[in-house]
Order: sequence, then structure tokens, then C-alpha cells
Amino acid sequence: MITGHMIRRVSAHPPLGRPVFEPADRIPALTALRGHVHGRNWDSVAGSFAALTDEDDRALACRVVAEQQNAEPFLNQVMAGDPRDPLVRTLLADRLIQTGWGIRSGYRARHVSREQFQQFHAFLRRAEVLLIDVCAEYPDHALAWYLRVITSRGLELGPGETRRRYERLAEHHPHHYSGQQQLLQQICPKWGGTWESAHGFAEECAKAAPPGSPNGALVAVAQLERYLELREKEGDRAAGTYLRTPGAHQALLDAAARSVLHPAARADAYQLVGAHSAFAAAHCAAGRHAEAAAHFRALGDRASEFPWSYVGSHDHEAEFVRHRKTALAKG
Amino acid sequence: MTMDTTADRDSAADRGTTTPTTDADGITDTIVDGIRTVLAPRSGPLTAGLLFRVGRADETLATSGITHLVEHLALHRHGLGDLHYNGATAATYTHFHVTGTPADVVEYLNGVCAALRDLPMDRLDTEKEILRTEAAGKSHGPGHAATLWRYGSRSYGLTAYAEAGLHHLTADDVRTWARTRFTAENAVLWITGDRIPEGLDLKLPAGAWHPTPAATSALPVTPAYFAGDDGGVVLTAVVPRSTEAGLFAEVLGKELFRELRQKSGYSYTATADYAPRDTDYATVIAYADALPQKQDALVGAFVDVFAKLRAGRIDQADLDAVRASALAQFDTPELAACMLPGHAMNLLVRHRNLTAAEARAEIEAVTVADLHRVARAVWADALMQVPGRGVDWAGLTAAPAESSEVVTGRRYSALEEGNGALIVADDGISLSAPRGRVTIRYAECTLLQVYPDGGRHLVGGDGFTLTVEPTLYRITAAELARLDAAVPPASVVRMPPRDPGRVPQPRKTTPKAEPGTARHAWFTVLLWVLGIPAVVLGGFTALSAFVATQASRDDGIPPEDARFLLACLIVSAVFVVPWGLLLRRRQQGLN
Repeated sequence: MITGHMIRRVSAHPPLGRPVFEPADRIPALTALRGHVHGRNWDSVAGSFAALTDEDDRALACRVVAEQQNAEPFLNQVMAGDPRDPLVRTLLADRLIQTGWGIRSGYRARHVSREQFQQFHAFLRRAEVLLIDVCAEYPDHALAWYLRVITSRGLELGPGETRRRYERLAEHHPHHYSGQQQLLQQICPKWGGTWESAHGFAEECAKAAPPGSPNGALVAVAQLERYLELREKEGDRAAGTYLRTPGAHQALLDAAARSVLHPAARADAYQLVGAHSAFAAAHCAAGRHAEAAAHFRALGDRASEFPWSYVGSHDHEAEFVRHRKTALAKG
Repeated sequence: MTMDTTADRDSAADRGTTTPTTDADGITDTIVDGIRTVLAPRSGPLTAGLLFRVGRADETLATSGITHLVEHLALHRHGLGDLHYNGATAATYTHFHVTGTPADVVEYLNGVCAALRDLPMDRLDTEKEILRTEAAGKSHGPGHAATLWRYGSRSYGLTAYAEAGLHHLTADDVRTWARTRFTAENAVLWITGDRIPEGLDLKLPAGAWHPTPAATSALPVTPAYFAGDDGGVVLTAVVPRSTEAGLFAEVLGKELFRELRQKSGYSYTATADYAPRDTDYATVIAYADALPQKQDALVGAFVDVFAKLRAGRIDQADLDAVRASALAQFDTPELAACMLPGHAMNLLVRHRNLTAAEARAEIEAVTVADLHRVARAVWADALMQVPGRGVDWAGLTAAPAESSEVVTGRRYSALEEGNGALIVADDGISLSAPRGRVTIRYAECTLLQVYPDGGRHLVGGDGFTLTVEPTLYRITAAELARLDAAVPPASVVRMPPRDPGRVPQPRKTTPKAEPGTARHAWFTVLLWVLGIPAVVLGGFTALSAFVATQASRDDGIPPEDARFLLACLIVSAVFVVPWGLLLRRRQQGLN
């Protein structure tokens, strides 16, 4: 209890600086991992992953590798030397997914051209073929199943298939926060789901996860998704009104208390920054800056792009800095 | 009946079985009236089967149904009575079988052979009618559509088609087929008894044994997929016949049932089967059904079951279980009699026959590694039928759903917009429409159905079909006659007249009723303004040309006259061409 309190105090103490969004810039192990990719040092890359026991930490590490522009030739070369290695195939698959998604761009489907979709799907298919084999050979491979939840959505295989993949992931890893975030996307209305199912799933995951784990942030993410849709359709006022409903407010507080604000929360969990950010952003968008303060104190200068790109001007850095200032002044 | 001990028939002597021999299991091999015969004793009534190595895969699309017709005609005399008998026409064999007293069996088999020697052709039309009725009421197994996609309209693909030959097969055609295929050399007889029943007379025409037909292919690449219209997933693959492939299908069925039904509840039926196709190859069929809302997950789970087996994650316990079931089949009294029909079938297609001990030893020897090898072979040859969207994401290639090219030739556009055009060349015909394109090369045409009203229905060897309806396309009778002449005569089937209601007509579009498409007065004026000079100048030019050619028959048209005619032609064209275009718009009701 005291330790958690002290950490919060300590991280709030240094003068607030420019927020660091890139995980590889704020987590030393990921900084090293990125260096290993650029240095084309496969043994060290594999060693970095072996050192990570938490699957959600591994998911973020995987993303760091996959976002390196020059990773594909390196990973291809490693795979040529050891075609059966599940890690290299999985990392390469994520690199292909990232490349594909970069072509698709983050816009809603109606703004994406036919050609962009074709290229996007072609990259996802290449990833999928690698992942099918990894999942078949290692049915408990969390990273591969997690990525297949993403490819299923991108390839539009259907909500039933995306859920099946999540269930195969959850069979061995029932509280995989990164996988749950991906399924949550599929069951939101923008990908063919409903708000009932999205909120229901978020609550269910939040309640089932062990205390202190980041999964409770799914409640905030679902609320932010709905907030974003309302902003687009009905404007800022309607969106803010939704977030201020007592039900939404209480759900957020309960979820935070069970997860990131719980004393059992692991301070060095890679997903903690994203989870705090989600809670803080939801409170800020609802105008409850005082209640966001605890999350900002925990964050300090650390931040994640999502969900700050959802609020206000969509400039994640400006929004984060602005809201942090207001929140810390009030709370 | 003559027990063939004198080798009075060469072919019987060739087989070297002039004296009955009995193998380790108690199956006796002998010859009856020149027909290879196998016997094994069994208690109870006698059962016998007369197999012929001829089936639907031996036919062509234009003769499709001829084997079935022979089977029906041969059984016609056994119309009534309590005798338990039947006939079956499969892809590679025709089977007449019967159960009863020795006298019943003798009467049935003698009757079948007597009929085959002299088919009751007075029954031809009636039996054709019965076959058409039988086809209408027939339901098909899950692998049915896949045969067409895999083989096209030839060989094993023919089982996917209606019996198109029934419309035109003559008594002579049927007699010739019976005389060449339903012969002693092309037959095998099996009887559950320790000796040949008294009184058999199975004399059949002499002929030759026919090997199983070579498989044709309409699939450029495998693994492949096509979109099916029912909600299930079907995967077929052709692999060499083997004990391990048979066991693999059992393990696959277990895995599908466990994964798709027990674990996930996507399917009610989830099963796999192994079926010998010909002498050397067998088809593995996997099938699972699903409710519409579960189809996407079913396809994914189905793909993953194969990925798992391909990855070699095959439980030893599963292999042990299917092995035990396979071995249990041998723990049966009167084993030799149970093995008899299969034994006879192997003799018929000349596939190896194993004794029970040899078969057991092979089953015992199968390892997980063997099944893993089969799993990879099955996937490499897979053709998957899926509901909804394709499975390109799983590394499969779409089976061709349209022809890769169109012919270059005369173009006949559709009367109705959106139906594209027919293109006719000397060696083929294409339909090029927004829905896709189909080309049938005449040399590859397996069926041309000719209707008296002018309609033509063509089927290509690859299974693509093209229908030419003169009511829908501006194609001429002369062009149709050329088409008829270019198709191999053996593929042409002249059809009876169609019900006029079944001749398609262009949809009655009534553009005049729509705003902006009325007959405008200005358009009518324009038609006259262009039309009068077009007719006058055109007529004058034509007349001048006629006069000029008549006047100078031998030494050509003088240059000055030619220049004059050319000038007339150009001036006429200035009026005739736009007039023609406008006239067409008026006819189409556009202005």
C-alpha cells in the first residue's frame, strides 16, 4: 500500500517534461530490443523475448520490433536459417501486419481506396499463412493467436471467426489484455458489433482478471470508443453527456480501483501506461479532471498515443499535456 | 454353367486360374462362363454380386447415362417378386447383386446375363423416362459439386452431371455399349458359398477388360477453393490408395468432430471419409455443416484442423483408436465372406488384394509419421468448398470461376443491356458479359444441346457452360449452323422441342414510360432531315456504282468515274451513318 503511494509521489515529483509516447524510448528493455533489431542480432532479440514472462509485455515488445522499418529483411533472413522457429515467424507476421495497416491508413473504411485495400489484404494474407502454422504447431502461442485476432478483423473474416481466435488465445491465456483490446475493436459497432456486446465484454474481462492487472482499462476503452462515435455523429456535447452519465462514471471508477489503482498493480507492467492513459482520457473527456489526476501522477512523462488521439484536437501530444496540466492543478 | 477347367477361352487361360484355388482366408478363385469368380462360404441365404468394370466415368457427357440405361434394361425382367436384389451404377463399376436361395440367385444372375445378351429395346423409351424421374428425386452427397470443379465435364466429373445422353441414345448405341463393356472379361462375380450354385448360365459376349479411366483436371493449382451454395464446408483431396490414407481419414473425422462439434458447437455434422476412386487413387472427403451465423468461425476452425494435422500434431491415442476399430473388422465370424465384395472389387479394377493377415499387418505398422505424410498430401491436393467469402487468406487459390481468355471473332451483342455479347470464332465461342467471361473451344466441347427453337447449350471440357439464345442475342441462323458443324459430332445432342415458356425472352423494358425517353418531335424531324438525303444519295451512289461496273466489265472503272463514285460514297456516308445511329436509338426507345 505504502509502496504504491510512494511510487506515485516519486514519479510526480520531477518537473513535468515533454511526454514520451514511444515505448522503446521509455522502457529500457525495449530500447535494447530495438537496438538488437537494428544491429540484426537475432540471439539478443530472442533473448529479450525469453526474458519477458508476461504475455502482455511480450505483445508490446513484438509491436516494437514490428514497427522497425528495416525489420523485414532481417527477420526473413533469420527465418530462412531456422524456418521452424515460432518467434521469428510471429515477429515477421506482425511486421507484415504493420506494413499492411500502414498502407490501409487508420481512416475509416470509406476513406480507403480499393487499391489500398488490396495491398493491405495481401500483406495480411502473408502474415496469416505464417500464423496459421505457428498456431497449429504451438496452440498455446499467445503472440501468434493475438496477431490472428488482428488479421481476422483486417481481412474481414467475420465476427465469429475473430471471436473464435480470441477464444483459442483465451484458452491458454484467459487475461490477455492486448488480445482483449483487439476483440473489443471487432465487437464495437464500427466493425459490425453492438455497444451492448462491447461494454459487456469489457466488464466481463475487467471482473475476471486478477486484481491489479490492466484489463480494467477495457471499460475505459469501450467508453472512449463510444465517445468517439458520438462525437462524430452528434457532436462534442452529446459525447461528453454520455461519459458523464452516472453509470459510465461509476463503471470507470470501479474498473480503475480493481486494476491500475489496485495495490497489486505491477509498476513495471508494459501495458500500465496505456491503461492509465485510457482512464485519464475518459475522465478528462467527461470534464472530471480531478479524478484523472491519480492516473496522470502515475504516468508522469510517460504516455501512449491511444487514446489521446481520440480526444479534442486529435493531436495526442498537445491533448495529453493540456489535460495533464489541468488535472494536476485540480487534483 | 461350365466350370472353366478346359481353358477354352484364351483370356481365362491368361489369368492362370483354370483350376480353382483357395487363399489363406478361404476365398476361392475360379472361372464361371469365362467370368472371374470368387467364393467364400457363409451361413444363411446366398448373396452374390456381378460386377462390371464400367461406370459413369467411362462415358462422355453426350453419352452420359448409357451405363445406367443398360443396368435398368438388364434388370427390367426382375420387376416384381420378393427377391432381394438391386443394381447400381457407380463412377467406375456397375453392380448387380442379389440375396436369396441358390435358385433365386441363379435365376437372377441368369436373367441379368440373358438380358445383357439381348437387351429389351422395346423398353428403351420407358426406361429413359424412369431414369429422368430417378435423377429428379436424387439427393447428392457433400462432395458432389467438387467433382465438377476438379475434373470438369469428363471422367470422374461426369458424376456431377445429369444424364445428358438420355435424350438421343439409340438402341444401337446402347447395344454397342453393352456388347463392348458388359463382357465376361470385364466382369467379376462373387458368391457367398463354398461352391457354384447349379444351373448358372452367365454367357456374355467376349470382350476386353477396361482399365479405370484416367482422371481429367479442371484445376490449374491446388490447394484451391470455390464458393459453394450450401452452408457447409467440404474438402476433397485425391491421394494414392493406402492403408495409412484410410486410417488418416478416420483420424481426421475424429479431429473434426471433436473440434467443430464437441469443443465449439459450430457444426452438427463433422466427418471425414476415404473412398477408392480407381485402381490407384482414393478420394478423402471432409465435411462439416454450420448455421449461417457460425459459418465464418466454422471455416476458420476447419482450416485450423488441417493446419494442426499438417503440422504433425496427431495424437497417438487417436491413431490407436482408429487402428483398433480397423482391426476389429477382422474379428468377425465368416471373415472371408465379409471380405468378398471388396476382394471382387479389387480384382475388377486390378488393385492389389491383401489377405486378412497382410491387411492386419499393414494396419499395425501405420505410425503417426505416416499419417502426418498423408495430411500434407491431402492438403497439397485439397479442393475446398466454402460458404460466403473465399479462403485465399489460408493460402488457397480460387478455382477458375471464368475462362482465362475470349476468342477473337464476330461479335453479336445482346438485345438487352448488361448481358454483354457473344463472340464467335472458327475454333470457339465466348460470352463476354459484366458477370464474367466464358469461352468454349469447339474441340474441347463435351456437349452441344441443339433445340429446335434455335437455342444452343454448350459445355466445355473444363465444365464451363454457355447458352446461346437467339431470342437474347443478335446471332444469325447461319452462324448457329456453323457452330453446330464445328463441334465434334459425338458431342452434339439434338433436343426435343422446349416448352415455349422456357425459351428465354428479353425483359420487357419500357423506357418510353420513363421521363426523358419519350418520342421527341425534334428527334423525329432530325430523322427525316437525315433520312431523306441518306436514302436519295445512297440510292444514287449504289445505282451509279452498278452502272459503272456494268459499263466497264473488262477494262476496269475509269479513274474519273472511280473518283466520282468515291465522292458520292463519302457524301452519302455523311447522311447514312448518323441516320443509322439515330434510327437505332429510336428503335431502342431512347429518343
